Amino acid sequence: MPGIDECLLEAMRLPGARGAAVVDWTSGLALGTVGDAPGGDHETTAAEAAELARLAAEHRAFAPEDDADWSDDACPVEDLIIANRDSYHLLRFVPTTFDSSVFLHLWLARAEGNLALARIRLGEMAGRLVLG
Amino acid sequence: MTMVATPPPPPLPTRQRTQIPSGGLSPMLSRLAAERATGVLMREGGLLHLADGQVVYAESPATPGLDALLIARGALDEDGWREAVAEAGTRHRVGRFLVDSGLISEGALELCHLGALYDAAYFVLGPSSAPARFRYGEAHWLGPVRPVPVAGVERETVRRRELLHRIWPDPATDEAPLLRTGHPVVTSVTPRQGEVLDRIDGVRTAADISRALGRPAFHTLVDVRRLAAAGAVTARPVPVPGPAPSPFPALGAAPGVGPGPVPQAPSPPHEAPRAAPTDLSSPFADPHITLLKRLRDALEAL
Repeated sequence: MPGIDECLLEAMRLPGARGAAVVDWTSGLALGTVGDAPGGDHETTAAEAAELARLAAEHRAFAPEDDADWSDDACPVEDLIIANRDSYHLLRFVPTTFDSSVFLHLWLARAEGNLALARIRLGEMAGRLVLG
Repeated sequence: MTMVATPPPPPLPTRQRTQIPSGGLSPMLSRLAAERATGVLMREGGLLHLADGQVVYAESPATPGLDALLIARGALDEDGWREAVAEAGTRHRVGRFLVDSGLISEGALELCHLGALYDAAYFVLGPSSAPARFRYGEAHWLGPVRPVPVAGVERETVRRRELLHRIWPDPATDEAPLLRTGHPVVTSVTPRQGEVLDRIDGVRTAADISRALGRPAFHTLVDVRRLAAAGAVTARPVPVPGPAPSPFPALGAAPGVGPGPVPQAPSPPHEAPRAAPTDLSSPFADPHITLLKRLRDALEAL
């Protein structure tokens, strides 16, 4: 049964992982962090990533077609991928059985990182984090 | 913090440097952290429980507690919670018991606990006029789940204030009963905002709605301010006279208008209240000062 720290450490074992965090996208608070953050500042990174996550989670355009009434408790978006010249950012929404707005944020070096693998693993971690 | 001059007629509260100290919100709390105190800090807005100088739990009437959050959507049933408190409460191991007995996963408990802690702390560390008290003693019955340094909690509280202010600078909707304006909303209402909007009935406050939804109250404040910014929601006017009709024009008008320091007191119902904001805007653009000024005006109007 992993807690936040175990989950983040597991994320850091992925090839190319530079840093990871668990963030609340309503407030922009980092609930846990590990490794490096862009610019060396986890708090700022969390607040900025939260803005992006919120837009993705809250806009109808990004919800699946069949979620017509958009009433599903779970976040309609599974994850977000951002790529730049030297790294990837992967934001994975964490479904919970209580009211929350939490996602996992993984920062990957582009040269060593495997985006497809990271996406699968992060999804599994998000599930285990809450369900045990 | 309150510096209200009592007897003499017009002397104004001094307010040269009214700003939130960047170091800490409560000197007392910083001291307690430094001495690694264990016990409970009691402030007007609620309680902050410390163990070894770190925050282990926070509770405020303004927001649902950890139990309410977990039970509201079925993460935990009420019997499970009661059993855990009965079994492990006296040993201060309720959190551990919940996880060990398989009622909830460690990750879920940590996430919900941290969310609830920062959420309640925001209200506990809110502006307050009453003095804080600290009772040394036992640690909280929940036991250690994920203690947080005092400085981190204070920093986050300040950040949250700024976040709310950036969304919509008027704090009126934070505590008042809420009303739907009925204006067509230009921006789309998100599902989470929709849940809040559905419960606005002219009676409930943001705190009531948070309890009904089993949602941290700060999250509701964020959505309500967004809805207020979009013109969909407003605070129901309360019997207390608003900030605008200041019955003492001398307060607002004095600094800018007349260069002559002559006691031009009985300034008639001019356009003094209108002139005041523009005159004062430059030195007092700081949101905390505008808020304090409005509070002062409201108090003086009583």
